[in-house]
Amino acid sequence: MPATDYNQEMAFFVDMQRCIGCHACEMACAECETNGQESMIHVNYVNRAESVQTTVQVCMHCEDPACANVCPADAIHKDDFGVVHSANTSRCIGCSNCVLACPFGVPKKMEEAELMMKCNMCYDRTSAGKKPMCATVCPSQALFYGTREEIERMRPDSVPVNSFKFGKQEVNTKVSIMMPKGTHQLIVE
Amino acid sequence: MNRLFRTLNKTALVKAAIAAVLVVIMVLIGSRNLQYFDPALIAYLIGTVFAVFGIAYRYSVWIQRPPTRLYWRRSMQFLFSRHFIPYFLRSIRLFFRNIMFQRFLAYRGRTRWIGHFLLATGCVLAFAITIPLTFGWIHFILKPGDDITYYTYVFGFEAGSFALGSTLAFIAFHGLVWCSVLVTAGVVIMMKRRLTNGGLIATQGFENDWLPLILLMAISLTGLGISYDYTFLGGKTYQFMAVTHAITVILFLVWLPFGKFFHIFQRLAQLGANLYKKEGSRRGMAVCPHTKKAFASQTHVDDLKKITRELDFDFSKEDGTSHLDLSPEGKRSALARAHFRARQESGHFFG
Amino acid sequence: MAKLPVAVDQLIKQYGPHKAYTPQAGFYGAHEPDKLVKTHCCYCGMQCGIQLKVKDNKVTGFEPWMEFPFNEGRLCPKGVQRYLQNNHPDRLLSSIQRVEGKGFEPVSWDRAMAKTVSEVKRIQEKYGRNAFAMLSGVSITNEKSYMVGKFARVALKTANLDYNGRLCMVSAGGGNKKAFGLDRSSNSWADLAHAEVIIVAGANISETFPTLTHYIWQARDNGAKLIVVDPRVIPLARTADLHLPVRPGGDSALFGAMLKILADNDWLDHDFINNYTSGFEEAIAAVKDYDLDWAEEQTGIPKEKIMAAARLWGKAKTSFLLHARGIEHHTKGVENVLSCINLVLATGRIGKPYCGYGTITGQGNGQGGREHGHKCDQLPGNRDITNPEHRKYIAGVWGIDEKEMPGKGLTAYEQIEAIHRGEIKGLISICFNPLVSLPNNNFVREALEKLEFYMCIDSFLSETARHADIVMAGSLHEEEEGTVTTAEGRVVKINEAVTPPGRARRDGEILMELAARLGVGDKFNYASSEAIFNELRIASRGGTADYYGITYKKIVDNMGIFWPCPSLDHPGTPRLWEDRKFKTPDGRAHFNPVPYRPASEVTDREYPVVLTTGRVVSQYLSGTSTRRIGKLVDQYPEPLLEIHPGLALQYGIKDRDLVRVETRRGQAEFPAQVVETIREDTVFIPYHWGGKHSANQLTIGNLDPISKIPEFKVCACRLTPLGEQVPDTMTETAYQSGL
Repeated sequence: MPATDYNQEMAFFVDMQRCIGCHACEMACAECETNGQESMIHVNYVNRAESVQTTVQVCMHCEDPACANVCPADAIHKDDFGVVHSANTSRCIGCSNCVLACPFGVPKKMEEAELMMKCNMCYDRTSAGKKPMCATVCPSQALFYGTREEIERMRPDSVPVNSFKFGKQEVNTKVSIMMPKGTHQLIVE
Repeated sequence: MNRLFRTLNKTALVKAAIAAVLVVIMVLIGSRNLQYFDPALIAYLIGTVFAVFGIAYRYSVWIQRPPTRLYWRRSMQFLFSRHFIPYFLRSIRLFFRNIMFQRFLAYRGRTRWIGHFLLATGCVLAFAITIPLTFGWIHFILKPGDDITYYTYVFGFEAGSFALGSTLAFIAFHGLVWCSVLVTAGVVIMMKRRLTNGGLIATQGFENDWLPLILLMAISLTGLGISYDYTFLGGKTYQFMAVTHAITVILFLVWLPFGKFFHIFQRLAQLGANLYKKEGSRRGMAVCPHTKKAFASQTHVDDLKKITRELDFDFSKEDGTSHLDLSPEGKRSALARAHFRARQESGHFFG
Repeated sequence: MAKLPVAVDQLIKQYGPHKAYTPQAGFYGAHEPDKLVKTHCCYCGMQCGIQLKVKDNKVTGFEPWMEFPFNEGRLCPKGVQRYLQNNHPDRLLSSIQRVEGKGFEPVSWDRAMAKTVSEVKRIQEKYGRNAFAMLSGVSITNEKSYMVGKFARVALKTANLDYNGRLCMVSAGGGNKKAFGLDRSSNSWADLAHAEVIIVAGANISETFPTLTHYIWQARDNGAKLIVVDPRVIPLARTADLHLPVRPGGDSALFGAMLKILADNDWLDHDFINNYTSGFEEAIAAVKDYDLDWAEEQTGIPKEKIMAAARLWGKAKTSFLLHARGIEHHTKGVENVLSCINLVLATGRIGKPYCGYGTITGQGNGQGGREHGHKCDQLPGNRDITNPEHRKYIAGVWGIDEKEMPGKGLTAYEQIEAIHRGEIKGLISICFNPLVSLPNNNFVREALEKLEFYMCIDSFLSETARHADIVMAGSLHEEEEGTVTTAEGRVVKINEAVTPPGRARRDGEILMELAARLGVGDKFNYASSEAIFNELRIASRGGTADYYGITYKKIVDNMGIFWPCPSLDHPGTPRLWEDRKFKTPDGRAHFNPVPYRPASEVTDREYPVVLTTGRVVSQYLSGTSTRRIGKLVDQYPEPLLEIHPGLALQYGIKDRDLVRVETRRGQAEFPAQVVETIREDTVFIPYHWGGKHSANQLTIGNLDPISKIPEFKVCACRLTPLGEQVPDTMTETAYQSGL
């Protein structure tokens, strides 16, 4: 039943070092119709006392999502396009397992509503051939949605990386992060 | 077929069988060896027994999954602890608030809550009426010599009476009509949401989102049809109405353990989750080494480390700590710092 | 009588600011709007393209406008939330009048107009024509700017008309006119993407022009080196190749020293200097003693960094220099600008692809609004009101006798001073909130309280409007058609998405009726915004800011036209000076000698710390609109005092300690934000709030002698920690500007 004009050529690329911490993505995220004025993207200072560095985090849409694995209610589902969806509203029991297990710190627990919500890459827009709200408005293009060819042309000295290491765990994702040429994995210590 | 049997979960199978047998025994006891059982309802009975079997089976499989099993165990452990009384009272309160009244849905949207509350209440009341009738646990009789008083029997014991034609009788005999009205109103509200909300339109599916609503609507309308038929049409279309109603109800019962309606039973776990959070925070909070703020109970963080290991995720680090010790904000910052370092070492932030 | 009619809390209760949020399920009809209107953001000089969703004559949301070439859908948080200014509960739905002891009450248009006209006449008869003044703003369209200029001179017949661009980029305008004879950014932003070296001086691009960031990052992807001159590590500076943490007030010393290094190392374009410029020798002579040791002392920047910056700039083949309020808001703002231009001219990198220079205009129509005659010394087309030929031409266009045209009047801050002295008795303002935006605003308040009559045209009851006798309910950006000129000189079309709500009216209609009641209706007889624009085209014809060749249709077809555009077949001019024909009297670009001098108030034993002010990304100017939008308020709820841990240690100040900041003009209390991202001798406070949270209670009203811009960016202060830790948000209601 959902409109599926999902263009699988298009991909999501993040480069947090371009982020200027303006929160435009956060405001725009709330305009996405799948999450009704709730913002799913995270922007935060890394350590304001030291630096103005901010980080911006969308759901990375893991190949084997930790959130879905630890969900006691089978509420998190990854679809055929590789999009890991927000919790199934009828099943989610608001336990916060996913919030604490996600290595990227993405899911949000809506306390009163007893519901986890997370980024589904603006499914209402991407499934209709549009770009997600955050990547559309991002004035620094720290969030970029487009084809691999486009990003390789625009940022010739960087390479998209979609493999991460958290402790001993390797995590592979649908969303890529832009890294210096020659990098294959971002190791988070 | 062989494969099906091999993939069947033995524990669950045993539990489901026990549950189904228990129901049958209860029917036998409650109807006094089928003395008061209404044979016209046999199809409904079979459907219900099947539903019980399915629900018990699925529930059992469900709670065998590591995260669910842990929640289940912890809930029981915390409930039956020295805090039993406050936790029990809390659970009762939350049962009414969040299960019977689904108040948490109000925070997801007001009309959504109203819609869901109407259809859920309609369904629950309808079950409360039909299951005892189907099982033969309740029946009504007119005693010889008194044709204006109805006597109610529960499990074969007389449990009250009311006058024919009284308001109470009207309400009682039309109970299912009222349920149908509630369900229909609720379904209409929920369907309207699904037709107008852009986010829902984008993400909904037929089987999980529309079929349940359509099924509920069909049950309600055919049920109302039976009433309409004997009130206004003198039973001319009774056969048709009764058969279609039976078909929709049995479809519902058979689908109950497998489809969206299973969430009714899963929802109870919300009480456990609440207890888990409460007892966890009593035992002590985990403080994020990055933000220096408490973000979850230490029990929860420790349990998740175990669960993730069982699920073949290993977030532990060389120094004995774990990536899971960080709060969500801490994790995001850790990633950003790692990225910053990588960029810095390469000599270029851009390009 | 322009004191508050009742306690400010009562006014706030009725007229806000209140925070508006989108309902959880979106506004009614946002999913299926009646129409999507292509227009622009109402805020900064970038004028990003945006589509507004309209349902039942209400703006209910937005949809990115991917095709508009400047921003291709990109927006900042203000842009995303801009739609919430419409349909706002604080919106004035009818004109209101002051009632002593009661506040404000609705008043009919007839009564509001009649009262205003009778007061204009009374004051002008009693005290003279110039005793009635007008203040305007440049967040309004070209059409309105033009009409305000004409209205003041033809209907009010006063010389005292000025605008809030006076506290925006007039120093840049002054410098550009001296150097190039024309006041516009020399290039479109497209030239940024391939510049080898980019200097950003005193421009917090990442917070005040977020969508311009993309162009800078693009340039860096292409290998550009970025040099940021700013006392703070702004987000743009964090990853910059060079950050020069200049002490506030040290800009011209830095650029003077860099010019000397260019000359000493012969990193010069002699061909360009010899053939197309004048004044080079004098400019070099002025900086001959500015060696690195001296520069380090004056600017507080390590000399290696100054040298590195000069080397990068000197050796580059292409470059772009951008500046904004950070170097312009000084008593030597024009000199700072000229010292930048000297660097550009010395290397000859202008008028060529990927070689550029420009100020980044802050206000929505900061560029167009400063060209069409609502400055005190200016007539349309950037003509000079003291030039007899210019006067004659415009008098002809307006159909008046040249002798009747008033002469040059007072600038904005001088007007406030004149009100305070009792020389100006009556005031009309539109789109200006001086009580928040002008320096030393306790003085501004005193002045407002002395007015005999004050009429204000606005959509909300701003802090200044609270002092008005009559507030006429005007229109928002999306309620009136027109054009604006973006910071890169691109004239774009603003479309009417909805009509003004209730009994509010379009600003243009209000001015037309007032003019008619003042007896000059025949001069203000416009059938449409386009009719005004067509008159503006003629009025600007032959001036330096020539719009004659621009039509509404042409703007829409081309998604904007860059002026100058002197004829209908002219495509517009994205890049100036390719012909090397400068608009100065001698046709050459002018070097100007810039001897360094200190700020008007320097630190001493009594006031030992430098105070500088600026902006945050979630607020726009004085906040009349953005302090009413919930999420923007919540993002940065109250002004904080940014202070370096080193300085904080001296005073025993910890993060979130409440600190009293005092200057010779006033004092206020702010929670400390202890951060390493600011110079150790400088503290910073953003200025968007009014009342007791206003940073402009502290700033100084000293003006640049040429541009008359106030020195917002430097003054001396002292700090007293009050020994009180405050919670994360100390004052939830700072956005309301209570006293």
